[in-house]
Amino acid sequence: MKRFLVLFLVAALMLSVVGCGSKDNGTGNEGKDSGQTQTDNGSTDNGESTEASGLPALSPDNPVTLSVWITTSQSAPASDNKLTKLLKDKLGVTLTYEIITPDNADQKTGVMLAGGEFPDLIGATDLQARFITGGALIPLDDYLTEDKADILYEHVKPYWNRLSFDAGDGEKHIYILPNYNRFYGEITGGTNFSASGFWIQKDVLADAGYPNLDNMTLERYFSLIENYVKKYPTIDGQPTIGFEISCPTGKEWGLTNPPEYLSGHPNDGGVVVDDGVAQIFANKDIAKRYYQYLNQMNAKGLVDRESFTQTNDQYQAKLATGRVLGMYDQRWAFGNAYDALVAAGKYERTWVSTMPVYEGCEPYYADREVMNINQGFGVSVSCQNPDIAVSFLNTMLSEEWQKILSWGIEGEDYYVDENGKFYRTPEQREQQKDLVWRSSNKLEALMDCLPKHQGTFSDGNAFSPDDQPDEFFATLSEYDQNFLNSYGKKTWRDFLNQPPDNPVYYPCWNITLTEGSDAQIASQQLTDLAMKYLPRAILADPSEFESIWNEYCQEIEKINYKAYEDAINAGIQDRIANWG
Amino acid sequence: MATNIQALPGKKKGFWSIVASQRELILMSVPLMLYKILFSYVPIVGWTMAFQNYKPAIRSIWKQKWVGFDNFVKLFTGVNGARFIRDIVNTMGQSILTLVLGYIFAIVLALLMNEMKNGPFKRIVQNISYMPHFLSWIIVCGLVSTMLAVPSSGGIVNDILMRLHLIKEPIMFLAEPKYFWGIVAGSNLWKELGWNTIIYLAAMTAIDPSLYEAAVMDGASRWQKMWYITLPGIKSTIVVLLIMSTGQILEAGFEIQYFLGNGLVVDKSETIDIFVLTYGMRLGNYSLATVAGIFKSVVSITLVSLANFISGKLGEEKLI
Repeated sequence: MKRFLVLFLVAALMLSVVGCGSKDNGTGNEGKDSGQTQTDNGSTDNGESTEASGLPALSPDNPVTLSVWITTSQSAPASDNKLTKLLKDKLGVTLTYEIITPDNADQKTGVMLAGGEFPDLIGATDLQARFITGGALIPLDDYLTEDKADILYEHVKPYWNRLSFDAGDGEKHIYILPNYNRFYGEITGGTNFSASGFWIQKDVLADAGYPNLDNMTLERYFSLIENYVKKYPTIDGQPTIGFEISCPTGKEWGLTNPPEYLSGHPNDGGVVVDDGVAQIFANKDIAKRYYQYLNQMNAKGLVDRESFTQTNDQYQAKLATGRVLGMYDQRWAFGNAYDALVAAGKYERTWVSTMPVYEGCEPYYADREVMNINQGFGVSVSCQNPDIAVSFLNTMLSEEWQKILSWGIEGEDYYVDENGKFYRTPEQREQQKDLVWRSSNKLEALMDCLPKHQGTFSDGNAFSPDDQPDEFFATLSEYDQNFLNSYGKKTWRDFLNQPPDNPVYYPCWNITLTEGSDAQIASQQLTDLAMKYLPRAILADPSEFESIWNEYCQEIEKINYKAYEDAINAGIQDRIANWG
Repeated sequence: MATNIQALPGKKKGFWSIVASQRELILMSVPLMLYKILFSYVPIVGWTMAFQNYKPAIRSIWKQKWVGFDNFVKLFTGVNGARFIRDIVNTMGQSILTLVLGYIFAIVLALLMNEMKNGPFKRIVQNISYMPHFLSWIIVCGLVSTMLAVPSSGGIVNDILMRLHLIKEPIMFLAEPKYFWGIVAGSNLWKELGWNTIIYLAAMTAIDPSLYEAAVMDGASRWQKMWYITLPGIKSTIVVLLIMSTGQILEAGFEIQYFLGNGLVVDKSETIDIFVLTYGMRLGNYSLATVAGIFKSVVSITLVSLANFISGKLGEEKLI
């Protein structure tokens, strides 16, 4: 009996030692566990099919599984998704998704970097380039050649300098493939404009007799809202909300960015740039004026007092009830609520953007679309077979697959007329509005991060139905068509300014701050202070505003914000030198 | 807990003969020791990160750049310092409030349940009261934030208070710093109360029934039985649990502050863990996070030793 016990203990001990050993080995090859089942000799066997691209061809005979991590506000596809099935049937590719909403991405990134294990493909909106400097991504330069990933090469070739990044070893490589605003051919897009604005519910404008929206000011914007609230204190039985502010963690810009637009600056994040020199504006008069005005509007009961305590989900849910008359936001950030209202047929409760500015300022809300840098897919160091991963991204950017991902399947989701133009029937347009249908028939989360063939395809069709002018207008509901006609406009984009050419360094919000640097800490501290003081200043009794504002400015002085400004200015100079 | 097995008193034996006589026990504890060493002591090597400017791209912690006490200076001085001290106060405040409320209510509830003579009813009460323990915090936080919202967003608390004419305007509970600790303690109480009573109820069943019989013979009332028999009977359990919880004082939970905290209440809501998350994980400043972690460990060990020592001095149970 005793001998048995000893044996058992020895066995237990050995097991635990073995356990330690394999743990150490395990860290490097997570891909094996995550089910990457491609056969290693696949690429050599199918030598003849690797031809053109010099990468392993994807085929159903050679099934692979790729784990993808995506930062997006789109939701994961339904399990019966038809494109998921198509990927498997045509390419043998199965994707396992991990989807992170943008407000949680920063923390999740930190945890993944500390752990050192990554999914095969990382699709991030990683402004601090943390995956790159954290050693999570492989340089793609070797793949980006004409005989390997030819389509991706075409995609990045003209922008090599902008896209390459120094991970800290002194050499610049391309790690991430840009997901938005790399245009091909004629740009017909921009009809469904998706950036900043002070949004206002269509019914507010309709009720006020479609007032002229030029020369908008904060005062006019809020008086429109105030009049409507007085006239209709409830919508669908619930109290009408005048103005909503959304600033949960990760989206603090919803509270901090508006002053730069109001003073006629474009979106440069935490700074405004005048004459090529960036400085913070949080403690300047342009900011004070906005928050003081909000304070007065709050005293009138026009600002939702729950603005600062609600999460992003609660904000979306509130918007989706259709009782919110106005908010400052970027179009993509409340897309879910917008879609929900459209799906419910409440077109009059959706919003159009207006551009209030201080007197003497020209609105610069719309900018020329700038190509995303450090946003999009990269291939991780944990990926077992980067050839396959790159081959997948390359295939996805082919026109054939771009049409499938953007328009759908010919004959099912759209038709082609005798001139080769894509069009959809009313039923096909209608089903696109159904959120459930979309989750079974589109891969929106994946598409959000994939490189895209924006602009026009080689056959002259626009990249997406929204960009095809006729198709865009035909897709609109009758309400929206009337609404646009009342304003004599053709697209939503027409509600915004004509953007001038971007300065070469623009936009400053995607200048990378070194991880853990004084500049980065100062930037975080500025954000934290804003989140602490601005809500208090807005919600306070108007007589207390001055004292809270002064306290806020004093606290800002304690922060080393000079380090932040210096880092941004250095970034501007670097871009002028290298991008010009 | 009670692993200090002593050799029977008798002739004084040498060390090795004690080892020899307890060899099975010692062998049996080996895997547990290995487990402890592997998962509790080996990771301490990571504390070296506190003295480095840690960059995750360089995987090995031995190849990092050493910076001495720079990170300690960064954490405890200046803007960060003021903030970290505020966070310590918040952490301790929330956790002590939670602890005290949790203890008192759990003991009272356990005493009451122990007095229930109706078996099925007692079981129903017990089940209902510990059900919330199995909910995850994200769900509890969702419930709390909805209940405390304004009536038009489903805020039932404000609705009730207004219908009772106790308040005229809805109170923005989650926007007022003064309510935050209470909300944390209250949510913890709601979630964990029933679960915490289980251990006391178990301790109560171990009390010799003849004591109660003797008390009845002496004419003791129900209250007196509770006070003179049940409470002293579970005293040692209470003390041991209390000593153990002192080690958790810097663990005020994480989820609830994370989900319910916001800029308006940050002065009362931000705890050490949240700070570590923002400045450590989100900004990728792992060294700073490690310093905060070390600080927490040192304080916790000190507190447990202190509580243990005081308890011993007072002639009560000791943990070690």
